Amino acid sequence: MARHKFVVIALAAVALCSTFWFLLDVVGAVSHRQIFGVAAFESRFDGLRKTIQPHSVFGYLSDNSPNDPTDQAEFYLAQYTLAPAIVKYTENEPLIIANFHSNTPDFKLLQQHKLGIVQNFGNGVLLCRKRGR
Amino acid sequence: MIFLALASIWLIGFGLLRWMFPRPIRWSVHNVLLFSLGIGAGAGIASCLWFVFLAAAGPSFAAWPWVGAAAAIAVLAIVLARRQGTLIAWAEGEAPPRYIRIVFGAAIALAAISFLAAVSANPHGEEGAWSIWNLRARFLFRAGAFWRDAFSNDLRWSHPGYPLLIPGLVTLCWKLAGQESTDAPIAVAFLFALGTAGITVSALGALRGKTQAFIGGILLLGTASFVSLSAALYGDVPLSFYVVATVALLCLQDRHPQDLRFSLLAGLMAGFAAWTRNEGVAFLGAIVVARAITVLRFRDRGPLLRSLFLLLAGLAAPLAVVVYFKARVGGPDDASFLSPSAILQNLAYPGRWILTIQAFVLALLKFGAFLIPIALFLALYWYVVRFRVESSDRPALTTGSIALLLTLAAQLLMTILFSGNLPVELNTSLERYLLQLWPAGILLFFLASGPLQLTAEKQPPKSKAAKRVHSAIRP
Repeated sequence: MARHKFVVIALAAVALCSTFWFLLDVVGAVSHRQIFGVAAFESRFDGLRKTIQPHSVFGYLSDNSPNDPTDQAEFYLAQYTLAPAIVKYTENEPLIIANFHSNTPDFKLLQQHKLGIVQNFGNGVLLCRKRGR
Repeated sequence: MIFLALASIWLIGFGLLRWMFPRPIRWSVHNVLLFSLGIGAGAGIASCLWFVFLAAAGPSFAAWPWVGAAAAIAVLAIVLARRQGTLIAWAEGEAPPRYIRIVFGAAIALAAISFLAAVSANPHGEEGAWSIWNLRARFLFRAGAFWRDAFSNDLRWSHPGYPLLIPGLVTLCWKLAGQESTDAPIAVAFLFALGTAGITVSALGALRGKTQAFIGGILLLGTASFVSLSAALYGDVPLSFYVVATVALLCLQDRHPQDLRFSLLAGLMAGFAAWTRNEGVAFLGAIVVARAITVLRFRDRGPLLRSLFLLLAGLAAPLAVVVYFKARVGGPDDASFLSPSAILQNLAYPGRWILTIQAFVLALLKFGAFLIPIALFLALYWYVVRFRVESSDRPALTTGSIALLLTLAAQLLMTILFSGNLPVELNTSLERYLLQLWPAGILLFFLASGPLQLTAEKQPPKSKAAKRVHSAIRP
């Protein structure tokens, strides 16, 4: 009986402590603001999102460096925010969404990619068009 | 409105189950099991019907009258059912000690608090949830007539070939509520986690008694990754719901061989597993093969063969929906991007096998984010308690064990064959693969384990004659 009791209590203790540890992790992540901000990202794109029509297709440009690990996640977030439009990580579309991390557009980068601004939605979100089209 | 919509959907499932297994409405293990199974049954039926209507009639189809009518019929079935079907009751055994009840209550509370804390910090879920499941739901809700854009080739990175149970259910909730909100995917995730725990505990209670049921429940709710992946809004816990529901119903089938409705319902649940995730298709194949092996392995083939046919009948309708979706609507699956020669190359390269086996052993040790590897604890539990399987449970245990092993083998093989970046895939998938099978694994482990003795055996009352002898020899 004592052996059964020991193994059951040990199992229960490990299980309870593990969930409690997870709860501490969650609380720690929230208090240290380590959560990836989907809501904040969505509010940045709010202005553009309101103009989106279903079945439209956009290209995508970002000022992230090519090896930045957040670049892919930000592209996915842009698609998530702008659905039901389709966002493609390419500049070969008539309209391109630029995702910059400063309020003032990076004109040098736009010039480099031969893009002209169609509309600036603020917060670093711009709708651009390829020059010469 | 979203909660009202989900309640209506649950009511459809619960009504169907109450119609199949009628018993008086009161607090009982019978009704806890039906309440839990009703979550997945309602979700699966609603999601499949929503997709059939979407494909046939388009997005302008008004869902409320139909869902309302189905829910009303379900309520009538619940209220008016006077028949007495098979009773699912607690198995005989010693009552669980007080500390087990307290720890079980604490495990429920901790799991619920952890879930709520995680989703309130991250209401859109983890990246895999919003970039796949919720993205698909947004397309289906927002795109109107262009709903097929959700499966565009341009969204290859978001796996447009994945089945639609979760996005369909979320879209239906949004449609019924008339607005988009993160409450819907969160409530769906919570209900599936609740249902999974409910099935595991109530099925174990019916098969092995309260003590084993509560210990199994503590182990499941104490699995940190069960709570974290639920709160991440991934499809893994819903899939684990359908896996444990199928296995539990087949276990109950072998306890009640005269009532073949258990097998029919098990088939329906296995079909919904295939409608939840691609791994569910592997499980569906595995459970059919496992049941067929059981039919061949055991002598009493008549009831088992009938059970196999009913299982096949139950899964036919959801499987037809999955086949139609894959053939006519869904985008390409990951496997379709590889040429046959590349697949053969992956198969023949020993490094991929070694890497997978190595990662799998590590995943087994790290599984569940337990503070101490749970595999070691289960081995200790087995060493102390041992296994003792009743003859009536052997067919179900054989079916369940073979099905889980075959599913796991299929998942690992698919990873070896089709994964582009194997180390990353192994790093992100193995924990989820194991979790999908974990509740059913707990069910089978405690079904097989020997009887527990946690309280001192009561001494038989002494007879008067014995008392007289005792007092005579006392100095």
